[in-house]
Amino acid sequence: MRYLILIAAVLAAGIGLSSPYQLQLLTFVGINTLLAVGLNMLMGYAGQISLGHAAFYGLGAYTTGVLTVHYQWSPWSALAAAIVLTVICAFLIALPLLSLSGFYLGMGTLGFGMIGFVVFRQWSSLTGGDSGLVGIPALEIGPLSFSSPRSYFFLVWAFAVLSIFLCERLIDSRIGRALRAIHDSERAASSMGIDTGRLKVHIFVLSALLAAVGGFLYAHLVSFISPSSFDFLVSVRMVTMVVIGGMASIWGALLGATLMTILPETLTVFHEYEMIVYGLIMIVIMILLPQGLFRGVLDIYEHARKKPGRTSAGSRG
Amino acid sequence: MNTPGRSPDGLPPVLGVDSVSKSFGGIQALNDISFEVLPGDIHALIGPNGAGKTTLLNLITGNFPADSGRVTFDGAGLNGRKPFERVSLGIARTFQNIELFGSMSVLENVLVGRHVKTGCGFFGAMARFSRVVKEERDARSKALELLEFVGLSEAASWRGTELPFGWQRFLEIARALATEPKILLLDEPASGLNPVETASLAELLEKIRNSGITLLLVEHDMNLVMKISDRVLVLNHGMKLAEGTPCEVQANEAVISAYLGREQAGKACCASAS
Repeated sequence: MRYLILIAAVLAAGIGLSSPYQLQLLTFVGINTLLAVGLNMLMGYAGQISLGHAAFYGLGAYTTGVLTVHYQWSPWSALAAAIVLTVICAFLIALPLLSLSGFYLGMGTLGFGMIGFVVFRQWSSLTGGDSGLVGIPALEIGPLSFSSPRSYFFLVWAFAVLSIFLCERLIDSRIGRALRAIHDSERAASSMGIDTGRLKVHIFVLSALLAAVGGFLYAHLVSFISPSSFDFLVSVRMVTMVVIGGMASIWGALLGATLMTILPETLTVFHEYEMIVYGLIMIVIMILLPQGLFRGVLDIYEHARKKPGRTSAGSRG
Repeated sequence: MNTPGRSPDGLPPVLGVDSVSKSFGGIQALNDISFEVLPGDIHALIGPNGAGKTTLLNLITGNFPADSGRVTFDGAGLNGRKPFERVSLGIARTFQNIELFGSMSVLENVLVGRHVKTGCGFFGAMARFSRVVKEERDARSKALELLEFVGLSEAASWRGTELPFGWQRFLEIARALATEPKILLLDEPASGLNPVETASLAELLEKIRNSGITLLLVEHDMNLVMKISDRVLVLNHGMKLAEGTPCEVQANEAVISAYLGREQAGKACCASAS
């Protein structure tokens, strides 16, 4: 049902909208959805924070950028390379980092994110440094070209819907329950026979992977990338999408990504007061709906239907 | 008390603790403790606060290593095995301060216990092969069966932490049973329960024992301990003070002066050990 609504909305927007600006904005929503859904698996479900996911986003973008621009690889083999590289990096980072928890994990991942940013900026022979990497080709599959805003919109949303679909299946499984168990009580989780250390590493890799795919799609959308698109603030924005949308809710991640992408654009009507209004909206959401948009709205709905003391299967999405 | 569920003599112990010591800083929490738990027994671990009972449970589940000595399970050494590995070997536990999964329903809490008995990985979960669907269905029916067993079927869809306190204890037991343990370690299962709940706990523990699962329980409720246990081990200041049947322990002078007191000893069951 939810998928029907989502797919119908995507189709309606893709077919109905004609302004390239609007299509591109919604394409960004799709890319951010990938990032938020991935980070939500780690943060919302397994309860492990990452303040460095922009580095994986950048890794995906720069891998495909460097390979297609400097080495004339086809984008799709570059995607495969980006995936392999990200998995390896994420494993190596996760092994030492995920033995940390709480603030320390936050600091550790923050450090990793900064290392990523410095590498993108300083390895200028490959990345072009501050002046960026230009001329990343458009994507195509055989005769299908994704150079128009409309076709790219559909491509990105195909990835986004697929990721929502797969992650939701993962959550509604033995693995998903184990992740939530780690979040609730790591001690009890391991007393149920869950290898918490290993599972945390695996979910970190999965979320890094989704960020890298997002970076790949971003690079081929804008054809020009520079380090500032992958700095600390981008990591923070990803975290904000997850928190605003609602932790431990895949559909919340979609909502958070949508709001956090569209809101800054619509707030430009406030000119110089834009950031103030933006900040105020964030504060109000967090005060009124501390569980995030998705859970908050659901709670209000369930409260109205007066079913206290029960968790309905629909309350986690 | 007589011991009807007792395994015939000669069966090897399911759990062996062999001269185990553990100190935290300068405090000797456990000093050269040895004992064996026979299959099919309800084995109780009693002693004053700070005697080292919970420390001993944590050593058996592998939460921290012993300074010296070894723990064997089914004849094999456990040293170096991580807590989660011991669960799949057949050691399950409950906690003194209940540790349910707060975001989950009662049923989901028990389903987490099926983790070691199910096997699908990331790809299996995403692709949802027919094998995975079947596994999930089986896990669900097993979990419902266990809820029935502890008497919580009607609360399956409730949030675990919204249950009344006593029911939360029963849920924790169901969750531990879902791992299909050979031995179940219970850390003060009766604490916080009213007399009615304690009585149904005693019934449940005997039901569990009769299903073939060995029990090792840490408990302060002497009536419960003396009523259901086959053997009792008494710890005091990290040392083994006494071990034996409930009658022997209750008659033991050292135990009376260190822990039970005259009153409890006065009720000594030995009169009833007809």
